[in-house]
Amino acid sequence: MEQEKDLTSQESLELIAKMIRKAKRDYLDTGLSSLLWGSVIIICSLVAYINSYLNIPALNLVWFLTVVAVVPQIVIAIREGKKRGTRHYEEDQVGGIWIAFGITMFLFGFIFSRFPTYDGISALYLAVYGIPTFATGYARRFKPSIFGGLACWALAIYSLYCGYPNTMLCITGGALLAWFIPGLILRMRYLKAKQQHV
Amino acid sequence: MFKDLNPILHSQLRLAVVSILISVKEADFTYLREKTDATAGNLSVQINKLKEVGYIDVSKSFKDNYPQTICKITPEGVKAFEEYVRDLQSYLNIKK
Repeated sequence: MEQEKDLTSQESLELIAKMIRKAKRDYLDTGLSSLLWGSVIIICSLVAYINSYLNIPALNLVWFLTVVAVVPQIVIAIREGKKRGTRHYEEDQVGGIWIAFGITMFLFGFIFSRFPTYDGISALYLAVYGIPTFATGYARRFKPSIFGGLACWALAIYSLYCGYPNTMLCITGGALLAWFIPGLILRMRYLKAKQQHV
Repeated sequence: MFKDLNPILHSQLRLAVVSILISVKEADFTYLREKTDATAGNLSVQINKLKEVGYIDVSKSFKDNYPQTICKITPEGVKAFEEYVRDLQSYLNIKK
């Protein structure tokens, strides 16, 4: 776009549409955060399920992995922020939803440590997993996340009827559908787009 | 030919820059250069023109010890862009 030329009104409209398309298409999630949290929750819930048969007290600490995973999440967020040359409008809104979700998760951890015998813990977790997942998918028009959010809500209801430790498998399914699979799809898209730009 | 069209926006590179900035919250200089395929010198001149008329805000900072220029469209810029698009549509007799 070095030589300035007289634009016709048609060319101007085409240029506007082209630039808007370029800017919109440019937003590509690396999928790393989804993969990280999907993996962590799948591991934790599967270990909790297996441990319900093994009864090894040390394995109950597996859920502390969710606290440890905050560190790589911060690293990912900082690195992705540095790489980007632009900020999109929905990023702040979606980011706010995920921060609120993170705080709610830690509050749940605190609340349910005081009431550990409450039967609907898994259902509540799954219901809340669905909120940011669905909202992100909706804001970014990303169907796998919309489906993942809906799956979390369906599993929340189902978990009320299947009893512990099967509720842990519901959590595994929720993490797989809401984060791990969408994360894989995003990662493949990102790597493909990156390859095309090289 | 297009005397009534806003002359600031009716320029290929400036229009490209404003079209990108209308779609995102903010963008840095490198990003704009990459998307518009413009040279740094030309882009810098056009960004300054847009800044002078108050269509964009430009802030300079440092990122990893390198200077970084962040551009953001202003409410005046949004208004001018909307008017420009309306004018284009009237030229083309596009009815909403």
